[in-house]
Amino acid sequence: MADAEFGKADRSQYPHRRPDGSLDIDLTSGKYLKLWQGPNHPGITGNMSVELTVCGDEVVEGKTHVGYLHRGFEKLMERRTFIQCFPIVCRICVPEPDFNEYCYAAAVEELAGLEIPEKAKWIRALILEMGRINSYLMYLGGQAGAFGQGVIGQWTTYARDLMLDRFEELTGARIYHMFILPGGVRDDLPEGFDERMEQTLQEVERTLDDVYDTMFRNAVFKKRAVGLGYVDPALVDEYGITGPVARGAGVARDVRKDQPYLVYDQLDFEPVTGRESDVYARADVRRRDLLMSVDLIRQILSKMPHKGEVMATLPNVLHWKIPRGETYIRGECSRGEYGYYLVTDGSGYPRRVNVRGPSYTHAMALLEKLIVNVNISDVAGLMVSLHTYPPEIER
Amino acid sequence: MSVRDLLSPFIAWKHLFREPVSIRDPFNREASERYRGFHQNDVEKCIGCGTCEAICQNGAIDMVIVEGVEGIKTRPGDSGLRPRIDYGRCCWCALCVDVCMTSSLTMSNAYKWVENDPDKFRYIPGVDKKEWDNVKQGYHRPDGHRLNAPERIEMPELEPAERIDSFVEIVGGYSVEQARLEADRCVTCGICVATCPTHMPIPEYISAVRDGDYERGLKLLYDSNPFSQICGKVCTRRCETTCAASHEGDPIAIRWLKRHITEQVPYEKYRDIIGGPLPATGKKIAIIGAGPAGMTAAFDLARKGHEVSVYEARSHAGGMTRYGIPEYRLPFETIQREIDLIVSMGVEMHYDTRVGTDIQMQQLQQDNDAVLLAIGLWLGRGTRIPGADHPHVYKAIDLLRRIRDGEQLEAPKSMVVIGGGNVAMDIARSVARLQKQQQGEINVTLTALEDKAHFLADPVEIKESIEEEINIIDSRGPQECVSDDQGKLVGLRSWKVLSIFDDQHRFAPTYDESDEQLHPGEWIVEAIGQMSDVSLLGDALTEKLEWDRGRLQVDDDGHTSEPWLWAAGDCVKGPDIVSAVATGHSVATSIEAMFEQKEAQNA
Amino acid sequence: MQTLISQLQTRFQLSEFILQRDNLAFVTVTREQLRPLLLHLRDKEGFTHLVLLTAVDWIEDNIFQLTYLLGDRTAGCDIGVRLMLPRDVASMDSIHDLWPTAATYQRELREMFGIDFPESPRVDEDFILEGWTDLPPYRRDFDTLKYSQESYVDRLGRETKDPAAYMKLKLYPDEDNDG
Repeated sequence: MADAEFGKADRSQYPHRRPDGSLDIDLTSGKYLKLWQGPNHPGITGNMSVELTVCGDEVVEGKTHVGYLHRGFEKLMERRTFIQCFPIVCRICVPEPDFNEYCYAAAVEELAGLEIPEKAKWIRALILEMGRINSYLMYLGGQAGAFGQGVIGQWTTYARDLMLDRFEELTGARIYHMFILPGGVRDDLPEGFDERMEQTLQEVERTLDDVYDTMFRNAVFKKRAVGLGYVDPALVDEYGITGPVARGAGVARDVRKDQPYLVYDQLDFEPVTGRESDVYARADVRRRDLLMSVDLIRQILSKMPHKGEVMATLPNVLHWKIPRGETYIRGECSRGEYGYYLVTDGSGYPRRVNVRGPSYTHAMALLEKLIVNVNISDVAGLMVSLHTYPPEIER
Repeated sequence: MSVRDLLSPFIAWKHLFREPVSIRDPFNREASERYRGFHQNDVEKCIGCGTCEAICQNGAIDMVIVEGVEGIKTRPGDSGLRPRIDYGRCCWCALCVDVCMTSSLTMSNAYKWVENDPDKFRYIPGVDKKEWDNVKQGYHRPDGHRLNAPERIEMPELEPAERIDSFVEIVGGYSVEQARLEADRCVTCGICVATCPTHMPIPEYISAVRDGDYERGLKLLYDSNPFSQICGKVCTRRCETTCAASHEGDPIAIRWLKRHITEQVPYEKYRDIIGGPLPATGKKIAIIGAGPAGMTAAFDLARKGHEVSVYEARSHAGGMTRYGIPEYRLPFETIQREIDLIVSMGVEMHYDTRVGTDIQMQQLQQDNDAVLLAIGLWLGRGTRIPGADHPHVYKAIDLLRRIRDGEQLEAPKSMVVIGGGNVAMDIARSVARLQKQQQGEINVTLTALEDKAHFLADPVEIKESIEEEINIIDSRGPQECVSDDQGKLVGLRSWKVLSIFDDQHRFAPTYDESDEQLHPGEWIVEAIGQMSDVSLLGDALTEKLEWDRGRLQVDDDGHTSEPWLWAAGDCVKGPDIVSAVATGHSVATSIEAMFEQKEAQNA
Repeated sequence: MQTLISQLQTRFQLSEFILQRDNLAFVTVTREQLRPLLLHLRDKEGFTHLVLLTAVDWIEDNIFQLTYLLGDRTAGCDIGVRLMLPRDVASMDSIHDLWPTAATYQRELREMFGIDFPESPRVDEDFILEGWTDLPPYRRDFDTLKYSQESYVDRLGRETKDPAAYMKLKLYPDEDNDG
């Protein structure tokens, strides 16, 4: 156990549990203190708070509070036509919006019986990998920042900005790309995109070299991150853990490999795994996964067909009705399994859209479990290591 | 942990010697070529159809009145409204650009705009001048990226070889599946409604096709047009010329969708769906002429409960639809179904009754509360060129009537048609069929003053005529109907047309006399227009009425200068079925208004 | 997948079966059979991953559909187990003891749909909507547009015209075009 390694006693039974399983915390005793971290939390991209009960500098209980970003997207979509849902889905996850576009589009295509052109699949995969790189770059800055290393964030933000330039020239927007829509993608790659992308990828690699030397080979970072936030591989199924958190625990699950979508069956890669299942291991899995995305983008650009349509023929979207049915589409985003459960009822509007974001399980049930017995100063680092994007919890 | 972990982070110091990577001048950084920035609208191309507003999921777009801007006016095909965008709501998704029916709406790559007043971030692109109005970069709908199908669903038709030797109807009608696909293309903007002379609720009945609710569709049709079955086959479909979809693709096949509705509802159900007449009022109306105008008015007035008598000189109702349009375009059965339906509302028909001969105008005036003149255009105009008085020089309208009346015409070996309108096509194609049946060979030449691009005929008619081996020779001015020594007609002598109108747009053709041709023909048919036969009015009434250049003068409601007499249809509006229907409606409304007025006075 | 479903069908009295894709099927199960079926799928068939648990409101049929989506990550296939719940007695047995993370889903369903899961930990605690007193908002009869119109003021200066109606007004105001 991680705690044992740090020579601490197991104090999970302290305070006592009541017969119903809740903790017997008597705030008037003076032994405990309630501490709110959030909603502008240092450890989270977005707004979320954690209600901590501390004893000394140690957390005895933590409860996640969300709702600061709730806009009711799933409900809003029930009042919008299938095409009108397309511009709003990306807002469910700001730093990596493209999975929303992809999963929604693929779900609609499946239920509507729409086949998309081959080239559109390649461009979709390209965009998803570009988004993954951006998401990881943001994460690395946050993970280092949670332990006081501000400079890493400055470097990764620079590299991310270059990737945003590529997004801008490809999709016409930097953050909310609104490019993958039911039927395909909006447009082909612009002239000379490959070369500029290659330059960007090289810059990302250079940046990651520096990050590796200063963050991963850093005594301070190791001291804080190694052993922190251990996730038992046995929890993976119980808690619905996916993505780098699962892979950091040695569970080699990657949707790109397990259920290849788009063109992943034509790409050469192996899921990146770790062993120690602590904050350091997860950070390292993500760093290597990022480098794998760099490689995947190179593969995609070299294998992609040069010519071809990028958009299927759509029926008139203003009256588009989809027969009754339901489906679930998933993809492997930077945080784990991202999925859309879409139910249609034969009308021009979705009957129900349910977005499954990996943060839903990671930042709620899992975080509340991991946070016990953690030092207050490590809470931020632990939270970042679960790579939480709150809007996908509350949608 | 090792010594390496203590030393490695010092690598960060190398950045001391690196050039800064941040952008030096962030205020003038140009966005990418396809950046989705502030909107632009080419307001002269825009037709104000509001499809952008319909697709906007943010409710960021309003269609607003724009006044005093050159190039923007409410007219057929353009609502005169223009989109105004609220940037407090816009999310830059560009669906409005993708769906724009004319491609007038685009986005610039401008993204900077600073104001103190938040309400300023709302403007009408292209009207409220902005510095990015002429910026070339920015998002435009990429080629091939369409959110609605640009191509019309093809109508099943008989191939030329199958149809040329008979008068069997050419058009087959859409299947349910085809009709739904075609109806699906409509964006429901309603721009077309203003163009339809009788303002049929086009988007609504197309929606009914989409929903497969044909009974609702039929009710919508007959509420505005009792000639819906006929118009579904031969309407001049001006609506389609202003269809929003026509700007970047084929117009919606509005006429065929109307036809489809009428074909899908069993005829026995028509009357129940449309509804019967109101209780009798005792008011009496006489209508002269059982064509579309007269029968539309009869339909409206009979449904109100009035006693309507229709006087028709010929043996069948339908007017020009019955005697002017060839059967391959409009079978008799369709006309009969339409007429039976109207008559079933309680209309009394007097066939073979010519007003002026069999019954006098005066009599009608005495016996009725109102009289409607709907006598059409039955006299063909002549060219008055030398030789045009030859017995084998015919008026198209007379020949068409004889063919539709069932007369067994013996077709000539060769024929020349003068004229480039629909009637010219009708006679050319009808005689071609007779030639094929009787002689196995087609020899019909059609000449017109206009060049092909400016023919008055429906382009489909021209296309089908060519398919049927009609020899169309454009830009020819007729000079003489030439006969040989025995007095036998041999053909038409023509000159090449240089221009048709003079500077003041007056009809004054000029010719190249050196370019002379003789188009061989045993018959020559003049199809250059028609006029009314108003002899039935009698001298006294003709004297009393007001005239406008040979046409009976009426007000907007079809009311003549005589309080008891109205006029409608081709004789006031010129030849067009759906316009005749429209005038039929308006005289009915006007007559009804007169009754109500009288009632109010008596009360 | 097909064989698995046929086996399950006889054992658990599944009423509906839809093979959506080669690797995704939906089945409908009764309330009594739900728990044995989930246990069987989890422990015997390798569907160890609770992908999601959510509800669909079929208000016209007075039914809430609960969807338990289970995944077999090794085989790369999923089964959506659907349970139809009467809308007016919206209460269901908790499965938090099978998957601890289910408690979060159940808490959300309680808040957003008003479906109760007695025994589920903290099921009555506010999740997203602290202080919400209106109808559970993801029910179909909660009208978002009405709520927003009642709660917020529209920005002034917004008005729009319908193109067809405006053309009638400008071009043929006196003509009657509806019969």
